[in-house]
Amino acid sequence: MSLFKEFRDRFMLLDLFAGLSITLRNMAKKKVTVQYPEQRREPAARFRGMFRLDEERCIKCNLCFRDCPIDIIYIDWHSEKNEETGKKEKILDRFDIDLQRCMFCGLCEEGCPTEPKSIWLTTKTYELASYERWDNLYVDMEELQTWRVRPEYTDREIE
Amino acid sequence: MPGFLEPIREALGETLFFYGFSPLLKIGFVMFLFALPIITWMVLAERKILGFIQFRPGPNRVGPWGLLQPVADVAKLLVKEDVIPREAIKWAYIMAPGLVVVPMFVLFSVIPFGPPGEGDSLSFFITDLNVGALFIVATATLGVYGIIISGWASNSKFSLMGGLRSAAQMVSYEVPQALSIVGALMLAGSLSLVDIVEAQRSAHLWYVFPQILGFFVFFVSGIAEANRNPFDLPEAESELVAGFHTEYTGMRFAFFFLAEYGNMIIISAVGTTLFFGGWLRPFPNFEALAFLDGGWLPFGLAFIVPMIWFSLKVFFFLFVYIWFRGTFPRYRFDQLMALGWKWLLPMALINIFVTGLVKLLLL
Repeated sequence: MSLFKEFRDRFMLLDLFAGLSITLRNMAKKKVTVQYPEQRREPAARFRGMFRLDEERCIKCNLCFRDCPIDIIYIDWHSEKNEETGKKEKILDRFDIDLQRCMFCGLCEEGCPTEPKSIWLTTKTYELASYERWDNLYVDMEELQTWRVRPEYTDREIE
Repeated sequence: MPGFLEPIREALGETLFFYGFSPLLKIGFVMFLFALPIITWMVLAERKILGFIQFRPGPNRVGPWGLLQPVADVAKLLVKEDVIPREAIKWAYIMAPGLVVVPMFVLFSVIPFGPPGEGDSLSFFITDLNVGALFIVATATLGVYGIIISGWASNSKFSLMGGLRSAAQMVSYEVPQALSIVGALMLAGSLSLVDIVEAQRSAHLWYVFPQILGFFVFFVSGIAEANRNPFDLPEAESELVAGFHTEYTGMRFAFFFLAEYGNMIIISAVGTTLFFGGWLRPFPNFEALAFLDGGWLPFGLAFIVPMIWFSLKVFFFLFVYIWFRGTFPRYRFDQLMALGWKWLLPMALINIFVTGLVKLLLL
């Protein structure tokens, strides 16, 4: 390096001032913080949030139960003769999911053969915390279809 | 003299007023209206300014703009459990935070916030020692004892190493700091801080302009004295957990914190006094700017204006401290020591030499 440049950098410390000016300029720029809970970031399109069940679309094939890597889906169904059509059809007795252990991997959703899927995780809901351990953590069939968005201070619609 | 003090002076009599009431008033003002509020809100200022540098807003939940955050911080520190390690040397462990804080508060007594009063009116400093600058250097060095003792008494590897490193750093930066102010002392011809500011007024010049090298060495040594980034290896979390104050919780830790920020304020205040004209307004001899002296303020409030100028300059330096913290990476310990002994000390000596030469030949 030339003698002048060496002098300029070592003694007059101009490169230090370049760094200082960058941080000073940063102070005036817009902040990138999302002020939760007043503002929320919309999750990505493929984000796997809380799941929802649609009982009528479900064909009770048990594929979601078999695909689940930690076996937290509990399914009970029985066959019943439907009076109107005279056919035998399956009735879902129990479809419970243990929310304590669920890791939202989405394998149950991938395994579901119906079109559109009977269980889906694209609800983009991630605010699932609760104050009690057993409160809302063992989700039964009714709840899976009808849960409201928690926490209550938003009223987003669930698709 | 502020008008509201006249009745008190009538009531107390001269002696009691000047030797009893006014020192108490001044100490109370300096401690409770200047030092402690600034230290407390500087914690918030640091977090906010560092946040702004990093594109985030800093604390903004506790009060408007986070202004009550220090209240929350102090409350938290006060209610924390007081843990003393079992194998710690108890009397030294308890004494160490006090040893760090007391010299720092003592130094506030010689800092001039405003001009000396004429005749028998109040002066704006607690005391004006003939050897003020020497007193500052000497008392600031006493803070090292507390750090060594806290590092040793904690009986922990991190504390010991952090305490030793911090003590070595502080001691080795005392030397360039003391030498760097000699240039300003030579120009002023006196060690008394009030005389130095008066000399700057009569010379129509802030001493930072002829003494830019001295100021630079003083400020960098000041950053090292206060254990601030880029010289904060002894207390950096990723290096030494928390250095010499690892084992301290609650109010004891708050004392170390107080001492660090108080040191920052002291160094800023001394730098302001010696190099930036103390309580003087920017161009003290231009009559055109005389309105800045606040003669137009009602109720005789013009006595506040020098204090405001002084405070503004101190706040600017505190901002620079925080700005440096957000910008620079940390020095490794051997680089730190090399900087102090191999670069800053020769620069301070060269500054003294050149100042002496110029003063001898030209002035």
